[in-house]
Amino acid sequence: MPALKPTVQPQIPQLVPTGSLQHLDPQDVKPNPNNPRMLFDPDQLAELKKNIAEHGVLVPITVYQPKGQMKFSILDGERRFRCVRDLNSEGHRDKSGQPLRLPANVVEPPNKIAGLLYMFSIHEYRAAWELMPTALSLKIVMDELGVEDNKTLSKFTGLSEPQIERCKKLLEFPEHFQKLSLDPDPTTRIPSNFWIEALPVINLGTTEIPRLKNLGRDKATEKLVDKYRARKIKSVIHFRRIMESYELSENERSVRTAVLRRIEEFFLDPSLETRAAFDQFVVGKKRVQGAVSACAEFIKQLQGLKLRFTTDDDERAELRKALQKVQEYCKSLEQVLRGDDDPEIPKD
Amino acid sequence: MWSLLSAALAAWRFHDYKPSPVTFGRAKKWIEQFKGEDRKTAGMLIEKVVYLSEKTTRDILVQQNHALMDRLAAVGLPPDKLVYVQVHDAGSSSPVMLNLLRDAAGLDRLGCHFVDAHNSLGLNKVTNEVGEGALIYVDDFVGTGNQFCKERQFAFQSVVGTFSEFLLVPCICEEGIYKIAKEGVEAFAGHVHSKVERPLHDNSHVLDQDAKKRMREISKGISAKLGLGYHQLATMVVLYRNAPNTVPAIFRGSPNQAPFVGLFPRWKDLPLPNQK
Repeated sequence: MPALKPTVQPQIPQLVPTGSLQHLDPQDVKPNPNNPRMLFDPDQLAELKKNIAEHGVLVPITVYQPKGQMKFSILDGERRFRCVRDLNSEGHRDKSGQPLRLPANVVEPPNKIAGLLYMFSIHEYRAAWELMPTALSLKIVMDELGVEDNKTLSKFTGLSEPQIERCKKLLEFPEHFQKLSLDPDPTTRIPSNFWIEALPVINLGTTEIPRLKNLGRDKATEKLVDKYRARKIKSVIHFRRIMESYELSENERSVRTAVLRRIEEFFLDPSLETRAAFDQFVVGKKRVQGAVSACAEFIKQLQGLKLRFTTDDDERAELRKALQKVQEYCKSLEQVLRGDDDPEIPKD
Repeated sequence: MWSLLSAALAAWRFHDYKPSPVTFGRAKKWIEQFKGEDRKTAGMLIEKVVYLSEKTTRDILVQQNHALMDRLAAVGLPPDKLVYVQVHDAGSSSPVMLNLLRDAAGLDRLGCHFVDAHNSLGLNKVTNEVGEGALIYVDDFVGTGNQFCKERQFAFQSVVGTFSEFLLVPCICEEGIYKIAKEGVEAFAGHVHSKVERPLHDNSHVLDQDAKKRMREISKGISAKLGLGYHQLATMVVLYRNAPNTVPAIFRGSPNQAPFVGLFPRWKDLPLPNQK
C-alpha cells in the first residue's frame, strides 16, 4: 500500500465533452459488457420503451469512442440505448419515417480512475456477481488516489461502507487465494463470501492456537479451502458458528478451552463438518427468539411513551441522540446478518 | 474416374491435416463410401472445402494483425498499448493461434502484452498497467459467436481502463461476425464464411436439391445430433490443426471412425492409440 497523502484531497475525475451533441445510429453504439439485460427491471424497461416510442429520447446518453474503435461505448444511458435498438429492430420509425437515432453527448475516453468509478456504480447493482473483481478495482482506486478511509472511498465509488469493508477483507488474502474466486467455472470457484466469513476464524485460529500459529496463515487457510471443497463446510455462513462459540464462552474458562481445542481439530481434521463440530457450543435459536421478542417489546414500549409529543428542546435532543445510537447499532447488526452463500454454488 | 481425381485433389490440398493426414488412399476410401451419383457430389464437396493450412493460417494472422496494428498506431496506440488475449485454455486453439502469431510477428520484441482471458487477476494487472489501449482476442475459428461472447463477457469484468476490442481470427462465420459486432467487438478475419458457401446449409443452393437432401440424410445418419455440425451451421472451413465442430458429420466420420470413415476427423473422433 503506498503512503497516505492526507493533505491532498483527491478529486473525482470529470468527463470532458469533445464537441456538440450528436445523433447516433444505435448500431454505432456498443452495449456495456458489464451491464447485461438481467440488470434491468423488465416493467420499467417496457415503460421507458413506450415513452421513447411516443416522444423519442429526451435526455441524451453519454458515450465515448475508445481509440481505434468505430463504435461508441456507453458511459450513461444503457437503458435508453437498449430501448431504441429494440424499437428499431421491431420496425418502429420516427415521424419522418426514419429509424430512431440516439442523441448523445460524446466525451473524451475517461481516464482509468473515472472508468473505474463508473464501473462501481454498475457492480453495485449486481447482487449475484462475485465481489472479488470489485475488490481488485477498489485496490486500484485506493492506490491511485492514496485513500484508505471508508467514508471517502464510499463517496467516490458509491459503494456502501460495509461493502468497502468486505472488499478490504478480500484484499487481505494473498493473490493465490484471490485467484480461486476468479475461476470462470462456478462449480470450482471459491465464493468471495468464503474469505469474508473465514477471515475472523483464520485470525482467531492463527493467533490463539499455537499449532495453527506454527502452521502459518497460508497453510491454515488452505486447510479451510480443502474442507470447503470436500463439502465439510456446507455453507460459508457456518463460519459464524465458530465465532459465536468462541464469543459465548467468554466467561467460562473450561468451555473456552474446549472451543479452542475444537477449532484446532476443525482446521486439522478434514472430515470434521462445521455444524457437527460447533452446534454443541451454541444455543442460537433461543437467543434469536429472545432478540426478536426484545425488538417487538422495545417498539411497544416506545409507542406507549407517546414520545412524539415531547416539546422540550433539550429532552428532544437527548432522545434523538439515544435513538440514533440505537439506529446505528441496529443498522450495523442488520448489515452483518445480511451475508449469504454464492448463489451459483450448489447446495447439498 | 471421378473418385480418383477427387481423392488426388484432396490428398494434395489437405496433406497437412494434423489429426489424421489426408492421403490419396484415405480420400479414396472416404469417397467410395458413397454410392453412385453421390460420389460425384462428394467430389464437389471436397472442392468446396475452405482449407487453411498452417502456412495460410499464419499468413492470415500476420496480415490481419499488421493491418490492425497500423490502424491502432495511427490513432496513437503503439504496440506496448496492445493486449493480446487468448480466449480458451492452454492447449486449445486460441493459445496455439496466439503463439503462432506471436512468433511470426515478433510481438514480444515489439512490447505487446499477453494474457489468458481466464486469468482475471492477470488481466486486471495488465490492463491497469496499460491504462488505455486495445484488447485483441485471438482465436482460430468463430462459428455462432456464442462461445466467444461468453468468454469475453467473463474476461471484461476484470478490465481496468478504456480499451477498444478486436478479434483476430483466420475465419469467422457470417452468424458470428454479426453477433460479435452487435457486442461491439470488431473482427479482423481472413475469411468470412457465408451461408451460401456451405452446400449442406439450409440457405445454400450450391447443390441440386436431391443431392443436398441425400447428403444431409447421410450426415444425420452418422450423427443424429451433430449431423450438420454444431447449431446446424454445416460449415466447410477446415483448419490444419483440427476441424471445427460445426462441420457436417460426413467430414468428421463416426466416433472412432467406424462405421463411417471421415475425411477430417477431429482429434476426439479418432480411436485411442493402443497402449502397450
